[in-house]
Amino acid sequence: MSTYVYAITASSHPALPEGMGGVGEPPLPVRILKEGDLAAIVSDAPEGLRPKRRDLLAHQNVLAEAGAAGSLLPMRFGSVATDDASVTGVLAERVEHYKERLRALDGKVEYNVKATHVEEAVLHRVMAESPELRALAEANRKAGGGSYDDKIRLGEMVAAAVKAKEGEDAAEVQRALAPATDAVSVGPESTGWLVNVSFLVDRGSAEEFLAAVERARKSLAHLELRVNGPLPPYSFVEPGPAEPAGTTAGADAGAE
Amino acid sequence: MTVVPAQQTGGGGSSGLYDVLELVLDRGLVIDAFVRVSLVGIEILKIDVRVVVASVDTYLRFAEACNRLDLEAGPRKSPGLPDMVGELTESGARGKSKGALSGAAETISDAFKQARGEGEGEAESRPRPRKTTAARRKEEQE
Repeated sequence: MSTYVYAITASSHPALPEGMGGVGEPPLPVRILKEGDLAAIVSDAPEGLRPKRRDLLAHQNVLAEAGAAGSLLPMRFGSVATDDASVTGVLAERVEHYKERLRALDGKVEYNVKATHVEEAVLHRVMAESPELRALAEANRKAGGGSYDDKIRLGEMVAAAVKAKEGEDAAEVQRALAPATDAVSVGPESTGWLVNVSFLVDRGSAEEFLAAVERARKSLAHLELRVNGPLPPYSFVEPGPAEPAGTTAGADAGAE
Repeated sequence: MTVVPAQQTGGGGSSGLYDVLELVLDRGLVIDAFVRVSLVGIEILKIDVRVVVASVDTYLRFAEACNRLDLEAGPRKSPGLPDMVGELTESGARGKSKGALSGAAETISDAFKQARGEGEGEAESRPRPRKTTAARRKEEQE
């Protein structure tokens, strides 16, 4: 029987979610594998595991439950080991590294922020900033909407202006929110959003961070900001470019 | 104003749920010694999210929107004037209720529904070319 791995944590974690329902249908019970100072939160792996909504949620729920009580390193969805022994083997092999990461992330949570433009508002804004666009729009309107080619020309210019605005606004959101956070991790780009960025926030600074979000919502009224958190620190399990290795452990523990 | 609850753990509203699942799938610790399940069904979902800016549909829609926009906004003003900012902010707040740019939110929820449908059935069902909302809208107009 292969083993599904949810997270790595300290064996001293105060509320390990043993017995909680995990992935699979019916949900497989969560088990704990301890190896020295470390523990892995696991369950049996269901046959034919796929990224189904139910299982994604089960994964997230186990992490949310365990993460609320103590520091953990969340695994990406779908990590399966051949058996329990290979999980404890990995823990033993990399014990110092994982302990360092757990210390670095202790007391910290992830907030993910995605932003999209509010269409009408951003169109107002790009039109207001460009006399050329306004002139073109007005000419089209006078011509009863304009020809197909006129419309394409205007639309293409507006789209380019909106695209440029996306870049500016992405930087603006990050600038507005980063000060209350410990680290920033920029997520994959997509046209589903103009910003997809995760912030590592000390639990003690969460209110301050959320206040910054509210301020940004007011000052950037042409954006819709979607904030999700507190979450387990998915985006910060390994030291990234925004958080060089060795600078986080303990260094900011007393800073907040 | 549509405000996603700031405190959210483990699913809730649909767009919030999608936003979180993206993290579950894309981030988190990866250990070489472990295998990962195939994410075939999910790749489709990601491609679906990429819809907007550079397409004829978008251009036409923006052109139409700009026509309506100026009529609503009344006499135009020079950019950069202080009162312009006030007006923009106001209309921005109004715009909030109308959803996000280019139906992106709609598309995400579509994509998510699709993923859910496939998820309950078979996650790796064939990638099929899907029309974007904008493309459908255009067809309706023609």
